[in-house]
Amino acid sequence: MGSSVASVAGRGRTREADFALIGHQESWRAAADVLAVLRGPERTRLPDDELKDILPWIPPRAVCHVDVESIVGAQARGLYIDSFIPPDRLEAAYVHENIARVRGAAACAIKAGAKIVSLGGFSSILIEGNFDQLPERHHTVFTTGNTLTVAFIVQGIKKMCALEGRNLSESTLLLVGATGDVGSGCARCLAPMVKRVQLSARNVERLRRLATQLQAHGVQVEIATDLQGFSAEADIVICAASLASPSLLLGRIAPDVIVCDAGYPKNLSPSAEMPGAKVFFGGLGQITGGLRFAPDFRGILNRHPFPNVVHGCLLEGMGLALEGRFEPFSQGRGAITPERVEEMETIAARHGIYLAPLYNADGPVQHGTSLPGGMIERLTAYASASRSCGGSSWRL
Amino acid sequence: MEPLTSVNDSPMECTSLSASAPIWQDILAQAMTGELLAAMNYISLSEICDDPAEVADALEHAEGERGHAAAFAAEGRKIGVDVTNNVDAKHWKRLRDAFLRCITERDFIGCLIVQEIMLESFAVASYSRVGKVAPASLGKTFARIAAEEEEHVDHAMSILRAERALDAQRFDDKVHRLHLDVMTTLAQMLAKECKDGHCEVCHATCVKPSLFEVSLSAAELRGASLQQYLKTLDKLGIPGEVTLAWVAQLPV
Repeated sequence: MGSSVASVAGRGRTREADFALIGHQESWRAAADVLAVLRGPERTRLPDDELKDILPWIPPRAVCHVDVESIVGAQARGLYIDSFIPPDRLEAAYVHENIARVRGAAACAIKAGAKIVSLGGFSSILIEGNFDQLPERHHTVFTTGNTLTVAFIVQGIKKMCALEGRNLSESTLLLVGATGDVGSGCARCLAPMVKRVQLSARNVERLRRLATQLQAHGVQVEIATDLQGFSAEADIVICAASLASPSLLLGRIAPDVIVCDAGYPKNLSPSAEMPGAKVFFGGLGQITGGLRFAPDFRGILNRHPFPNVVHGCLLEGMGLALEGRFEPFSQGRGAITPERVEEMETIAARHGIYLAPLYNADGPVQHGTSLPGGMIERLTAYASASRSCGGSSWRL
Repeated sequence: MEPLTSVNDSPMECTSLSASAPIWQDILAQAMTGELLAAMNYISLSEICDDPAEVADALEHAEGERGHAAAFAAEGRKIGVDVTNNVDAKHWKRLRDAFLRCITERDFIGCLIVQEIMLESFAVASYSRVGKVAPASLGKTFARIAAEEEEHVDHAMSILRAERALDAQRFDDKVHRLHLDVMTTLAQMLAKECKDGHCEVCHATCVKPSLFEVSLSAAELRGASLQQYLKTLDKLGIPGEVTLAWVAQLPV
C-alpha cells in the first residue's frame, strides 16, 4: 500500500491539479475507513481510542488524487484534501479551530496549483461569509458549490413528486434552514412552482428579507422560527439547516409528506419517527463519464449505495474544471438564482453529471430502480452502517 | 551513561514539586538521553564532513546538545532528583544505530534527515508541550531548548530543500527508507503504552500512565510529534498525501 501511494503521488508530482475538493469525515467510522485504506490491508485497523487520539493532530492535507472524465471526452485532474476536522468537533464551540483547518486545506490546494477549489458542505458553511479569510489565492478560485447542490435538490424534488404522482403546483413547501445559501437558493427556484411556501430559520430578520423577495414575485409566503407550528401543513419538506449532527425532529408532519434531507451533515435525526414519509437524500449527483481515485477510495470517500455519486457542491468544481471555467461560480450567501442554477445544470449535464438515483438510509427510493451487480449486498451493508452510526457518514 | 558537562546550578527552587518530582525525573531523563544521543550523532557527523566549515558546524551543534543535556540535569537538581540517562536503552540505541548506518555510508543528507527532520521533530514538539505545562524554570528551559532545536531544523531545511530540488523522487525515496527505520522506532517510543517492556530510561515503572498528573499525556506527545513531523515534511515539499500514508502506517 505504501509503495502504491508513493508511486501514485510520484506521478502526480509533475502534473498540475485542475481542481481540488475540500472536505472532512462526518463520522469516526468514515475517518477510520480512510485511515484503514492508507494503512493498507496488511495492517490492522486503528482501534477507536487510537483513532480519536491521532486524528485531531493530523494537519490538513491531500488524501488522494481524483480524476474525472466527461461524456464528451474532457478530462480533469484533481485532489481530495481533507481538513481533518474531528467528527465530534463540528459544533460552534470549535468554529475558529475549524476555520483554521479549512484555511489550511485551502493553502494545500493553492500550493498544489489547483485552478478551482470546491468547498464541501460544512467547509463552505464555515467560510461562507469569510472568503476574505482564505489564504492569498494567486491563480486559485474557490466555489462553495452550492449552486449545483441547489440544482440537484430541486431536480430531486421534481423527480420525487413525479414518482409519487404529486402535483408540485398544488403543494405546500416547507424549507428548514431557509435563509442559508442552499435553503434560500431552493426557495427562489421552487417558490414559483408551488402553491405556498413556509420558511423556517433561526434569524427572523433574514426570514423577513427572504419572504419579501419571494412575495415580490407573487408567492404566498409564511415565516416562522418555530418549526413545530409549520410542519403538519407541508406536503414537501426540504431540510437544509446547518447542524453539527443529524438531530432535526420535524414533529407533526402530514402523512405521505416528501422530505428531502439536503443537509451536510445530514439534518434528520435517526430517531425521527415519520411514518409514511417519503424521505430521500438531496443534493447528490452522479458522474457518468468516469471517476477515479488514486489510491482507490471508491466507496470510502463517496459512501453512497450507487457508484460515482458525489455531493453537488463538490461536483460543481469538477464540472467547472471539465468546462474549463475556472471562476468562483458560487460565493457568499443569498446569490443563487434560478438563472444561475439553470446555467450550472447545463454545464453539468454537458459533461454527463446528472441527478443521482434517489435513495435514503434504507436504500433506493425509486420504484423499479435496477441495481448493478453486487449492489444488493452493498446496499444492505450501507443501510446497516447508516443506522448504526446515527445517520449518514459519507464525504464526497 | 554519558558524562555531563558542568553547569551553574542554582539552589533548589521548586520544593513544591516534590509530589510530581518522580514524573519530571523521567521526563528529564528521556530528554537528556535524547540530547546526549544528538550530541553523539553530531560528533559522528563531523567525522564524515569534508568541508571544515561543516565540521565546525557539526561540532558546535554537538556542544549545543550537550549544553541542553546539562540544562536538563540542572533542572533535575533544582527539584531534588537525580536525572540519569541511558543512550544504550533499547529504543534510543536503535535510533543511534540508524544514524550510524548513514555515517557508515558517508551519507551526509541521510544524517540530516534522521537527526534534523525526524529526531528534532520529536524533540521540538514534545519539549514545546512540556514547556507549556512544566512549572517555573523547568518549563522555561524546555521552551527555550525547543526554540533552539527549531533553529537547527531551519538551518538543515535549506540544505535539504536544495538536495530535493536536484532529484525529488530519489530524495523522497531516501526519506521514506529512513522513515521506515527511524520513525517506526520513534512511534514505538511514543505509543500510549510501552507494550514491549521497560524502556530502560524511566527510573522505575513506565512514566506514561502518570503523565496526566502533570497535565500531559502520551497521546498528546505522540500527536504533537507526528504533527510536527508532517509539517516539517511539508516544508521539504514532499506531497502531503504521501507523508500522510507514511504516518498512517506507523505502529500504534
